[in-house]
Amino acid sequence: MTLLLSAAPRNIGRRPSLTGGFAALLLAAFFAIAIAGPWLVPFDPAAIGAGMPFEPPSWQHPFGTDNFGRDVFSRVVIGTRQALATGLAATGLAVIVGTALGLWLAHRRGIVDEIVARILDVLISMPPLIMALLAVSVFGSNPALVVLTVAVLFAPRVARVVRAAALTVVTEDYVTAALLRGETTLAIVLRELLPNVAGTVFVEFSIRTGYAIVMIGSLSFLGFGSPPPTPEWGLMINEGYAAVNASFWPVLAPTAAMALLVIAVNLFTDDVSRLIGHSGPVEARR
Amino acid sequence: MPKLIAFRCLSALATLAVVSVIVFWMVEWLPGDAAERLLGRDVTAAGLAALRDKLQLGIAPWSRYGHWLAGVLSGDLGTSISSGRPVADVLAGPAGNTLLLTGIVLVLYFPLSLGLGVWAAVRQGRPVDLAVQLFTLIGMCLPEYVVAIALTSVFAVKLGWLPPLALIDQAHTFGDLIRTLLLPTVTLTAAMTAYAVRMIRECLIDVLRSGYVDMAHLKGTPPRRVLLRHALPNALGPALNVTALNVAWLTGGIVVVETIFNFPGLGRLLVDAISNKDVPVILSVSLLLTGVYIFCNLVADIGSLVFNPKLRSAR
Repeated sequence: MTLLLSAAPRNIGRRPSLTGGFAALLLAAFFAIAIAGPWLVPFDPAAIGAGMPFEPPSWQHPFGTDNFGRDVFSRVVIGTRQALATGLAATGLAVIVGTALGLWLAHRRGIVDEIVARILDVLISMPPLIMALLAVSVFGSNPALVVLTVAVLFAPRVARVVRAAALTVVTEDYVTAALLRGETTLAIVLRELLPNVAGTVFVEFSIRTGYAIVMIGSLSFLGFGSPPPTPEWGLMINEGYAAVNASFWPVLAPTAAMALLVIAVNLFTDDVSRLIGHSGPVEARR
Repeated sequence: MPKLIAFRCLSALATLAVVSVIVFWMVEWLPGDAAERLLGRDVTAAGLAALRDKLQLGIAPWSRYGHWLAGVLSGDLGTSISSGRPVADVLAGPAGNTLLLTGIVLVLYFPLSLGLGVWAAVRQGRPVDLAVQLFTLIGMCLPEYVVAIALTSVFAVKLGWLPPLALIDQAHTFGDLIRTLLLPTVTLTAAMTAYAVRMIRECLIDVLRSGYVDMAHLKGTPPRRVLLRHALPNALGPALNVTALNVAWLTGGIVVVETIFNFPGLGRLLVDAISNKDVPVILSVSLLLTGVYIFCNLVADIGSLVFNPKLRSAR
């Protein structure tokens, strides 16, 4: 019986799982909050003295207030946009560059491919967090540079995965046919290769978004993100942590928001990749 | 195969060399030169010039890189700018602390991940397995500072059982030492174990479905023996691979976790050195951690070659 089942094509009869659906809903909610945030919040996220310092949760301040009496709820809600925007921007950049490079390498093959693939291997074997710390401390820590740094660190990893996927496609007859028709590199890469690795690219985008949010959060937590009083989750956790004995709501709220978002992204990725027949992408973390 | 391994080792060395160049160059780009950073704003031009001379800032970066590299190769890591002590001395204490922390983490990690992985695989689909899967998924998704803060909020702030900061230098008795190390240890172990348990479980489930395990059952081998002698050895290769990748991950993990718990190890030293722009210390620590990272990836690479003959002909 198990033999029969495992012999069946991999993605027949697969439906979104309960957790996957839940994750999708949660992600939709995060997007809605990111967009509508400014209209949802009762206070200006930077307004000092919206309440007394370290107020416990109340109807007025659902997550209490921080050391400057700022409303934690407002700060977390406003911070959603930056968390999503920086995570998606970094990943988007990395995936666009990485996919283009990976596809071109797979199409090109030969010595150029060999050399560039080696260079990618070297880039991938550098510890990402330490490289990011160095880069951010050298080039400055405004959000655009953090996004760029993370994108640069992730792009070679995306390129390697996409190249590997595309290498199985370039030997197909339709690619040879396109070559013989005299189509340009651009046309072959875009029309023959890209559609056939779209699933891999999407899964890669989805996993990397989770890592990017975590990594940008880590940098910001270590004090290498936006300057205060930006309502950035990592920074809020860092600031609140210094006064954790007075009240842990300023730490707990952004921590929980970050945790929920990352779990939602990972569960969503897991389910999508299962549906399109990829094996456990979340496992590829390290 | 030996040729392939030699090639991997060479490319690991090449990577380390490339990283050292990149790190050196990045640090060169830090705003202001070392003398300005060292002396601060109110400084005379003469003092600046004297220090520049002493630090050999006048010579070209390439030859300074050569000097620095020659020094590193002969064991001289330079002098820390902020403390004025030799970098080797500055590194020694934190390196020992980090080794202690990661050593304890690894000792806990091995039996825990193997045990949980095997247990979940054997009880596949049962409540135990589902619970393990749920917890490992959460543990794997969460950034380590989130785990650290959750643990601290409960055990240090709410219950007051453990100290929120791991000030190991102030621990005088063995009991103190254990209490200070507990939270950072649990944080790091949780992140690594979660990942390893999932891998081991998945591999073992694959192995348990294979023909030779069926065969062993059919010829009447006791289930325990089937598991330990036939199934488990085949899941050990991937487990070793995961472990190497996990240790590589630790090089970044300690930076975050040591900072949170104010643990005086290499990770926090790096963050402090970056904020102080203490270039010789930044160079040494980041290269040391990068070396460990590359070495672990190399071990994982070679490990998977040794344990999976199919890969040997791949390239």
